[in-house]
Amino acid sequence: MPITILQPSLAPPAKLRDADSDSDSEGGADLEGDIAMGRPAKRARTQDSSIMTPGEIITDDPQWMRGHGTYVIPGASSNTILSSVAGTLAKTNKLLSVRPLRARYTPEIGDLVVGRIVEVQAKRWRVDVGGTLLAQLPLSAINLPGGIQRRRTETDELQIRTFFSEGELLVAEVQQLYNDGAAVLHTRSLKYGKLRNGVFMSVTGTGGGGGVVRARRQAFTLDISGTDEVSGSEKIDVLLGVNGYIWISKHIEGEGAAAETSGPGITRIEESVGLNVYSSQNDIIPVDTMREIARVRGVVTALVENGLRVDEEMVTKGYAEAVEMAKEERDSADTLWLGGERGKRLANALVGR
Amino acid sequence: MSSTSQHLLLSPAELAYLHGSLSLITPGPIRPDGRSPTQFRPLTAETGILPGTNGSARICFADGTEAVVGVKAEVEKTPVPPYEFVASTEGRKGHSSAPKKSSRKSKKTTTEDEEISMDVDEDDEEAAGVNEKARVSPDWVELSVEIPGLRDDDSGTVFLTSMLTEALLADGEFVKKLWINRRFHWKLYLDIILISPPLSYPLPLLSLTTHLALLATRLPRLKSEADEDPMFDDDWAAATFLYPRQDTTSAKASNKSPKQPSAAAAAAPASRPPITLLVMAVGDNIIFDPSKEELAVADSAVAVSVAEGPSSETEPESESIPATSTKRNLHLLSVRTIDPPSRLTPPGVPNSVNAAAWGTMTAATPTTTTAATAPANESGAAKHPDARVTETEDVVGVWKAPRGGAKFGMLGAMVAKVLERGGVAEEVLDGLEGVDLT
Amino acid sequence: MPLDTSTYNLALLRVDGRRWNELRQQKGQLGVQPSADGSAYLEMGNTKIQCIITGPNERDTKSTSSASTAPTSHGLGATVAVSIMIAPFATVDRKRRGRNDKRLQEMQTTIASGLAATVQGQSYGPRSTIHISLNVLSQDGSLLACLINAASLALVDAGVPMTDYLVACTAGSTSSYAAADEEADPLLDLNTQEEQELPFLTLATLGATDKVVAMVCESRVQLTRLEGMMATAADGCKGVRDFLDGVVRDKGELMVQEGAIGRGEVVSSMDLD
Repeated sequence: MPITILQPSLAPPAKLRDADSDSDSEGGADLEGDIAMGRPAKRARTQDSSIMTPGEIITDDPQWMRGHGTYVIPGASSNTILSSVAGTLAKTNKLLSVRPLRARYTPEIGDLVVGRIVEVQAKRWRVDVGGTLLAQLPLSAINLPGGIQRRRTETDELQIRTFFSEGELLVAEVQQLYNDGAAVLHTRSLKYGKLRNGVFMSVTGTGGGGGVVRARRQAFTLDISGTDEVSGSEKIDVLLGVNGYIWISKHIEGEGAAAETSGPGITRIEESVGLNVYSSQNDIIPVDTMREIARVRGVVTALVENGLRVDEEMVTKGYAEAVEMAKEERDSADTLWLGGERGKRLANALVGR
Repeated sequence: MSSTSQHLLLSPAELAYLHGSLSLITPGPIRPDGRSPTQFRPLTAETGILPGTNGSARICFADGTEAVVGVKAEVEKTPVPPYEFVASTEGRKGHSSAPKKSSRKSKKTTTEDEEISMDVDEDDEEAAGVNEKARVSPDWVELSVEIPGLRDDDSGTVFLTSMLTEALLADGEFVKKLWINRRFHWKLYLDIILISPPLSYPLPLLSLTTHLALLATRLPRLKSEADEDPMFDDDWAAATFLYPRQDTTSAKASNKSPKQPSAAAAAAPASRPPITLLVMAVGDNIIFDPSKEELAVADSAVAVSVAEGPSSETEPESESIPATSTKRNLHLLSVRTIDPPSRLTPPGVPNSVNAAAWGTMTAATPTTTTAATAPANESGAAKHPDARVTETEDVVGVWKAPRGGAKFGMLGAMVAKVLERGGVAEEVLDGLEGVDLT
Repeated sequence: MPLDTSTYNLALLRVDGRRWNELRQQKGQLGVQPSADGSAYLEMGNTKIQCIITGPNERDTKSTSSASTAPTSHGLGATVAVSIMIAPFATVDRKRRGRNDKRLQEMQTTIASGLAATVQGQSYGPRSTIHISLNVLSQDGSLLACLINAASLALVDAGVPMTDYLVACTAGSTSSYAAADEEADPLLDLNTQEEQELPFLTLATLGATDKVVAMVCESRVQLTRLEGMMATAADGCKGVRDFLDGVVRDKGELMVQEGAIGRGEVVSSMDLD
């Protein structure tokens, strides 16, 4: 069946709020619509809801400080802190902040990001990392090929495109932030650099009911020899950029971001840099690996479509589940497709729904 | 041929990988989202979303692309040409000379006949039909496409508009449905709006949504007779569908019935609005409903318009492949090549000439030692003049934009894949027919 | 067709059966477009609007010239760019509007400057732009008000910080200017038919407060009636804010329930009033 046509899902009408709110002052704002939500009972709207919305007073206790997603009325003498976004409240010591339900990626120092070069300038690249502003990667923040630690010369500036040119993908770390929130990246480590041998995908940055979350490890290697169709010990690297950009590729020993642990020591970095760091030529990739890369991509899509978070644990579990599903349905041809119903099944199996 | 590509940045390594996985022969293409070659992205469809229109539909693909189509009909006076000019009009409208009539038509031709015989002597039924159709004009349909972020006169929008219009008007059957009487006709406005930013080439989405909106389109029932000023039934429930619906069993029956013109005309024709499908080829693989990334590595892409008619006697102006199917009577309306964005992509740099990769050292990947090279990198090539080889040679794992157009055999194969029995077009039509009309 | 105002005086019911201070039925939905940074669908009566937000991202050079822009935070924050598209089939008679339609441009400017006063864009820096694209699918009065409300809702979905929801509502008067009727009552949330007959204004306020962000009145109306109309509209704005807030909360709670986002903490020594 090449085409699946779904009825508009029942969820949206349930979320639609039927409210003939009359603004009669005595009528109050008694809005209906809760019935369809399957929530236990109606409750007072503002007070005990865990969701903050713009303009809502969080506290007027002067002991708290305001963080992201909050504001104080300028000029007012009171210490009233209000929410400026819709989201959940987070406390860090005395700092109050509201995490938005969904927003574009906001860079933080130390984030591992996947980015795409959109502009090449004289001494730097401008990189799309899915944030509100383009990040920049100065020429001085990359490892030059040749294994020598040296100053950047005019020759390097002239051939800046040979390192990265428009459209190319790279993995980097946020080194510094400007006042307006723009990030400065660096790739001065063996685990960072140009990406090849795989596929790119982008999921919503933070929130949005799913997306990549900051975790202990953003890059990991999946063993695909579990699928009995795969011969040999092939591995797949998964790179979950904190910014929601994801790179799934064939694993190459001693290369790539997942080589964090297995990579050579700091002294050897400069020597080995330059072999394949700026290559845009793919290696020969076995068909099995390609298929499993597509499967991993499908798993991530299914996680996102079903509002689950994307991190190492979920992807690893999801992949194992997907392999199981494929084994069960050995007779049917298209076991790779993890959209729609199949994606839902996978997600349900994962969270035990 | 038109350049319809949205600019999409992909790295040469990505392009090479995608092209490699899509052109696999042995297990078939591996699409990045795991779909089978003929599989469409799942979509959500609903009709009747706008009560203020004669017909409306909305389709959302799972990736978030969404289109809304609204159809509005207005009664318009047909400029009646003086009879002396009928002959010339008839000659000009070459494509409308097919002697096929819909049931509604044939009912009316009887009244038409009488009148014409009053005015014009010895006009046989055939000629009357021709006269009547001679006054059918493609101007009765107006189609507009709105793409966010693009101007109305953007070449992409214009190309999409003309492609969808072309499919609709190709067999001349559609406008005949808009005929009210000799003095009046319906003027149909189809407004197609892409709601989401154009994530992928929107042609199939727009076409499917238009198809659905037309299926849902209803026109008020005519109460007046013959050539009076038209009067309509106020009751919307009594309005008739532009494309009369029938249960599938009778549709099959009427299609299977022997090709007797009278019999075919008696049974309501099971014609359906056209659909335009986007098909692309990578290597020897044919892939349907390509996503933006997939289209970026297409060797060639074509838009195939297909309509389902009551009988294959109705020949569209140019090419027509009578469908082999007995279930649905599909015929080809048009084939248009789409300029795939892959042509504009920058080529990858093989390691052997990559200065930054020090590829000329043998330490590079083993594949490069044997591989031929392209002088994409001037400095590298200059340093190693022996590395300069002709551009046409391929290096495994290095992206190179496709050159040349679609191969003739491939074009044929793509069209056949659309039209074949139980093929994609049939399933898509079946799927769309299953959508509830409200 | 002229609105028969006499029937209103008899039963105090309007043509569509509402009382003077009743809003039409509203439907709202957040995040209707998974691919967009923020999106919302809003229905007020038969006026149906879909809003798509792109950004905030860095201003691209080829931004559509037809959009109206306004800078936030006195030029130190992100720019708000608004473009409106009215579907040709939105009105009773099909009508195609060019992108440079003067009325559209004016509405765009009103919305852009209104939102720019509400959005806290300083955290994004002046180089970024928030593109707001509004699609009118069906139009039955209070268009400007609905557009503002839909944009507000979509901005919340996009996670753009705002001082409060920017909400808007129309208010009219039960008799025309010419009638000079001293007894004229204000009317809330007008539909097309009423808009064509009666004097009306569109009022946008900052959330449930009485702070007026924008007011548009294009018809002649006696000054004495104006205050009543504004008060009515401000009341309506409160109703709209409650409604929008409810939509956002429902969505948020659903997400918490599904575990997509972590449960919020509670300020222990909170003292809400």
